[in-house]
Amino acid sequence: MLEELSKFQKPDSIGSVRTLSPIARREMRTGLSFISPWLFGFLAFTLLPMLATLIFSFLDLKITDGIFSAPKFAGFDNYVHLFQDPQAGINPATWFNSKTPGSLLITIKFALIALPIGTFFPLSLALLMNNKHLKGQFAFRTLFYMPYVVPFVASVFLWGGMLNSESGWVNRALEYLGVAHANLPQWANDVNWVYPTYVIMGIWGVGNSMLIMLASLQGVPTELYDAAKVDGASAWKILWNITFPMISPVIFYNLVLDIIGLFQYFLVPLVVNSGTGRPGGATMFYNLYLYKTFFTYQDMSYGSTLAWFLFVIILLITIILFSTSKYWVYYAGESKS
Amino acid sequence: MKKHLATLFGLLIIASMILAACGSKSAAPTEAASGEKVKIRWFVGLGTGTDPEQVTTQEEVVKDFNASQDRIELVLEVVPYDAARDTLSTQIASGAGPDIVGPVGWDGSNGFHGQWLDIAPYLKELNFDSSIFDPALMAFYQTEEGQVGLPFAVFPGGMFYRPDMFDEAGLSYPPQVYGEQYTMPDGSKVDWNWETVTKIAKLLTVDENGKNATEEGFDRTKIVQVGYAPQYQTILGIGTFYGGAAKIYSGDAKGSYQSNVPDSWKEAWKWYYDGMYGAEPFIATGPLATAPEFGNEDVFNAGKSAMALSQTWYTCCLGDLSKSGAQFQIGIQPLGNADGKVHGRIDADTFRILKSSQHPKEAVEVLTYLVTTGGDKLLPVYGAMPAIASKTDAFFEKKSADYAFVTKESWNVFTQGLAYPDTPSAEQYLPNSIKAYARFATFLDLLNNTDNVDFDAEYQKLIDDINVLYNE
Repeated sequence: MLEELSKFQKPDSIGSVRTLSPIARREMRTGLSFISPWLFGFLAFTLLPMLATLIFSFLDLKITDGIFSAPKFAGFDNYVHLFQDPQAGINPATWFNSKTPGSLLITIKFALIALPIGTFFPLSLALLMNNKHLKGQFAFRTLFYMPYVVPFVASVFLWGGMLNSESGWVNRALEYLGVAHANLPQWANDVNWVYPTYVIMGIWGVGNSMLIMLASLQGVPTELYDAAKVDGASAWKILWNITFPMISPVIFYNLVLDIIGLFQYFLVPLVVNSGTGRPGGATMFYNLYLYKTFFTYQDMSYGSTLAWFLFVIILLITIILFSTSKYWVYYAGESKS
Repeated sequence: MKKHLATLFGLLIIASMILAACGSKSAAPTEAASGEKVKIRWFVGLGTGTDPEQVTTQEEVVKDFNASQDRIELVLEVVPYDAARDTLSTQIASGAGPDIVGPVGWDGSNGFHGQWLDIAPYLKELNFDSSIFDPALMAFYQTEEGQVGLPFAVFPGGMFYRPDMFDEAGLSYPPQVYGEQYTMPDGSKVDWNWETVTKIAKLLTVDENGKNATEEGFDRTKIVQVGYAPQYQTILGIGTFYGGAAKIYSGDAKGSYQSNVPDSWKEAWKWYYDGMYGAEPFIATGPLATAPEFGNEDVFNAGKSAMALSQTWYTCCLGDLSKSGAQFQIGIQPLGNADGKVHGRIDADTFRILKSSQHPKEAVEVLTYLVTTGGDKLLPVYGAMPAIASKTDAFFEKKSADYAFVTKESWNVFTQGLAYPDTPSAEQYLPNSIKAYARFATFLDLLNNTDNVDFDAEYQKLIDDINVLYNE
């Protein structure tokens, strides 16, 4: 029976569809009709624009030229330009001898700071929320989740005001506590403070990640903990040998999404630093540069090239992550041949 | 798999080559058969003119024009602002461009540089009397492309000021007639130039202990009121006001373009920076100006600045200030320190004609109608000040209803300001316009938000970058 079912669920090829029973075929058609709005949406609004941008990347096309103007075939010019463009920063040789920091390097640098914090902070919160000794768990969970409900742009504006170096209450509080005005952080206006500032803004919205982690923690079978305690395992050993492996699929899931999100990082520098790259070009993230190329400079072809390179990078990193997952991600129900 | 990928990749390249080869440049002339009316298309959307009330009035003007004669049929085409630029590009590229475009400002027209018709020969042919305009305003529309428009909707500059703040500081008010001098606290009479503005702006910049920027013990970290705000001015605007209008690039083709920013503009930007971060500040820094208490950049309207240099369009939005019970008046634009001339600025919208028009003479005839007879109906709905000085009364009557406390002398400052346009405009065309303007904006952002800037190094970096961008 199970073998029959698996055949139905996973046809090897189109040919095997023909071998389906009339009922199975009817069910497949019904299924397809149900997902057809999504399929249409995917084709019209994702696949087609993707293919269009791939074609644009081989043309010299600008919005100001008009869509009916004769597009000029550019061959690989845009890709050559991409590797020579110090602002894009694709070529590592430009990373350290260019007067402007490259956008790719900026993105990687920020990711190295934000990723560990963005992964372990919600995990730590989830562990706290999962602690049976914590009183008022429900209230805390609600409080930590609430910021996630606030629209992201609104929260960025809010933080922009709070961390305003002149009038923000954070600096006012620091000044009240005795920090000299000259020593107050300039937050988003200081090269050394701008990434921590962005991380702080990001941490505020970790409620969703925390909730996913918490759900995962609560799904760990309690008999595993009981058995470990009977064996005299310390709290750290329990955490390291039971909790982490059991929730590793969720950590992995969050990690993949966080990495993709970081390479697409865009809104905060656009709102907080007006998308200018201030201070000192440190916030001209790759995706922001892509956005500016497309919509400010209206260079569709080079913007498409930047977009495709970003897609390739994210794809590669995701593939690498997935290939490492077999070493550290534990799927309880998985059978390995 | 590899083979499939290679095939797909090859197909994509072929598709892009076919797309490149298939572009059409054919134009579709719309010759009128003899006896038929000549059709003139009026494109609206690059500036104001897309609100429902405006569209209704524009339709009325079209109807009036069509009824006034039987040779030309005027057709209105309104495109939403967000799509107008792309739509017009597409129409021009496909050889189906309109005849008349507008109202459009300098900024909106820069994207179509080189495509505007020189209307001077047609004005002569039609015997159009251009003496109804201030000669300076006529010259305002003379570019390397020729006479590209006629003055229509103008927004001259003026120094908005708060009499109560001047009274509190014991200072006399800015002059309201060009040529008048300013009376300093010691009774001496001096020119109303930028040096004077700077001096009194420092006296009007106050910390929470009531000390002004020149006093011992002034706390720059606790500023509650600044003396001056370049309200919503771009960096080119600041350069123009302080250093005088100038064409800021030379050359006539890619490869030959070079930055030509005058020294007086560099001086202007240094003055502006020192005004924020210098020893005696009198302009709000970027972080302070963007603080909610300072109106999120709308510093004068938030009641936090004693003076603000801006254009007539700023009168649209001073509701917060007037609702708070505060009053403002308007003084003249300052003179340059070195040349003693008024460095005025005028933002302006007008109608332009595309070179590709098949009926340029008829299009110019329509244009002259729109800026004169049609303007009587159009200008009030556009909320703009008429360029014809004799027609400004109705505009100021409406403004007086909004701000009853503003005196006639104040409104008259704007009428006088018609004689001081910035030629070339602070919104002039620049090669590789979008990127060049973006680079200038980044420089302004840097000045606004960064203490201890190595000004000379950053300025040089700006010029180097601009030179590359101009020729990109």
